[in-house]
Amino acid sequence: MLYRTAGQFKTTYRADQALFPVRQDAFLLGVILVFAWVIFPMTASEFTFQTLLIPILIYSLAAMGLNILTGYAGQLSLGTAAFMGVGAYACYKLIEVMDPILAILVSGVFSAGIGVIFGIPSLRIKGFYLAIATLAAQFFLVWLFEKWAWLYNYNASGAIQVPNLDTFGVFVTGPQATSMTQYYVILAIVTVMTMLCINLTRGTLGRTWKATRDMDIAAELIGINLMRSKLTAFAISSYIVGVAGALFVFMWRGAAEPNLFDIPLSFQILFIAIIGGLGSILGNYLGAILIVGLPVVLNTVPGLIGLEIKSATVEHINVMIVGALIVFFLIIEPHGLARLWALIREKLIIWPFPH
Amino acid sequence: MKHFTKLAAAAVVALTGAAAYADGHESLYVPNLSYRTGPFASTGIPLMNGQLDYFEMLNARDGGIGGVMIDFEECETGYSTEKGVECYERTKNEAIVTQPWSTGITLQVLPQTNVDEIPILAPGYGFSPMADGRTFQWAFNVPGGYWDAADMIVQYLGSEESLEGKKIAFLHLDHPYGKEPLPLLEALAAANGFELLPIPVGLNEMQNQSSQWLQIRRERPDYVVMWGWGAMNAGAITEAVKTRYPMDQFIGVWWSGQDADLRLVGEDGAGYKAISWSYPNQDAPIQAELKTHVVDTGKTLSNPEEMSGVFYQRGLVMSMILAEAIAGAQEEYGTAMIDASQLRWGLENLDITEARLEELGMQGMVPPFSTSCANHTGHAGGWVIEWDGEQFNKASDLLLPRVDEYRELLAASAADYAEQNAPWAVNDDCNAES
Repeated sequence: MLYRTAGQFKTTYRADQALFPVRQDAFLLGVILVFAWVIFPMTASEFTFQTLLIPILIYSLAAMGLNILTGYAGQLSLGTAAFMGVGAYACYKLIEVMDPILAILVSGVFSAGIGVIFGIPSLRIKGFYLAIATLAAQFFLVWLFEKWAWLYNYNASGAIQVPNLDTFGVFVTGPQATSMTQYYVILAIVTVMTMLCINLTRGTLGRTWKATRDMDIAAELIGINLMRSKLTAFAISSYIVGVAGALFVFMWRGAAEPNLFDIPLSFQILFIAIIGGLGSILGNYLGAILIVGLPVVLNTVPGLIGLEIKSATVEHINVMIVGALIVFFLIIEPHGLARLWALIREKLIIWPFPH
Repeated sequence: MKHFTKLAAAAVVALTGAAAYADGHESLYVPNLSYRTGPFASTGIPLMNGQLDYFEMLNARDGGIGGVMIDFEECETGYSTEKGVECYERTKNEAIVTQPWSTGITLQVLPQTNVDEIPILAPGYGFSPMADGRTFQWAFNVPGGYWDAADMIVQYLGSEESLEGKKIAFLHLDHPYGKEPLPLLEALAAANGFELLPIPVGLNEMQNQSSQWLQIRRERPDYVVMWGWGAMNAGAITEAVKTRYPMDQFIGVWWSGQDADLRLVGEDGAGYKAISWSYPNQDAPIQAELKTHVVDTGKTLSNPEEMSGVFYQRGLVMSMILAEAIAGAQEEYGTAMIDASQLRWGLENLDITEARLEELGMQGMVPPFSTSCANHTGHAGGWVIEWDGEQFNKASDLLLPRVDEYRELLAASAADYAEQNAPWAVNDDCNAES
């Protein structure tokens, strides 16, 4: 009904290969973009900005970076948080010399470099063994953030604090910046990155990644340079993750201590990518909404219906509900929420005549 | 199904009843960013219970403060900064104060409160330079900061024998909280001629500190000063007992003096000391009041063992300070429904005297102190408390921090902070001497 494809004829290969072969998809994306760019910012309260919109976007971006590496190129990584940390600390040093938004974009270059260095072992080791090698990056980098005082400007507390910085006279970071400004900066970066990722994964590079993921020996036999394929995946993935890390600290948290980038954050992002769907761009958003957004919404439910439950109890129930939902979604669709959506869409297209 | 419908109906009735009650009464919204879950829950729960029970008692006994009930609501953070920020955002619209609890959350909301203009009350924790009320006009860390604690510990150790040529190990959590007193301790080491040996404990080494204690055994320091929190305290104390480190040379900050941690080692921990700005005075009349209004009516979430402990009683003192500030502000502005900036006046003009403590039935539980617009800490001082195998007892007279010695350091750090966070609103109306 909603997804009637009748009348949408494709007469060229180009049309058949288009990003949106079904017109309704493009329409749906348009609606989502209108919501993200116009309706949400106009209606959102400070609370919604700070606890839903901004974190969901940032976590989606980080998961998207990881997804390039793990979902598309098949290299399992447990060091996402550490690469986010590289982005954040690089940004902290860069803001001294350049515009904050430029610094955020450039900081990704540093984490890309570090990512490539830690990606080199991937040429020799695979699967779980590579996961352990990236785990080494995780431990080493967090240790470095703690011990290398230059990174946090020899601050006594060892934490980095985001100063008030402006671009063209408008505060974009620090407590003086409004949530609306920050939201738009993040949204712009995330939108551009998403477009970039969609195109990358559909192009030559994406295909070499997928070939590497599916069977590296076969890929090598058909002439794919595995080293290039794996290292570009590490570089691009780490770049995106690094930018997400810089946004995470500069546009949202406002302060960070080294242990923020410890392994729980890595796992959280990995969960978002897995539950959202490995090898999918849309999945990162769905995963972030489930993992980051849902607990916040659940927390407000008892208050909304006027139920007097102790805050600690709510927290306990929340953990249980989110855990149960994760198990539930993984049982009904092990390939993630993105696949679930794909199935629903498929059903809608052929509805009401399944065969 | 029938059962379920009945339950649902009952819930709806209860809800509408509760909503109607809430609408009909004015109350002051005082949120607390509590942590009854997560890795630090064991230290959080007694403090939270103490804070909560004091307001429960005021609500039950006096009908709140100045005729309005206190809506003391907890927002659970589990000590996670992310949740803390969520709670802050959730509560800030109606709140007259924010109590962030963790150092991470404090660091995060501190710049925000200066823009949102909400007082931040961090009793005995947070950032030491918050003492400078002109720079940190919205932040309060009454009745003492970490630098006060460090200074008092050094004073106490120095009162027994000269520290010249001694070696003091500083066992601390490798985290903003643990690093906080380092600048002052380094200055004190230079002034008093002792050698300072900082030994950091990483967040994932809290429970297993064998390498740190190996280092302590090798270095043989004359004293070990501990800045620990949560699981780190119990870890350090059991490790000290295991390696037979003399307990009377082991002294902690006020967050390292919890009964439950020491009860793990019992007799073996006798002699362990901690500096504390609160003391669980079991003879104070407040204990009986609590029993009548909170315990006997079944309102408390606590138990007798916990209630006699240092942390629960400290929670009471914290709430007392806040309640006094609310009452002061109500009197000054002639309205019971004070707002955030009026409460700031109340916190800035606290005057907790011996006489007032006696009126409150809390004598001996906290040293008298007062605040001003320039002094947001009060520098009340504290006592050294010593574990005798069963409980903590006072082991010293009241110690007072020598604030004058590090006032410049405080001012410099505060100025530094303001500069880094420029544009930072400071209180220009307040002159230094007041």
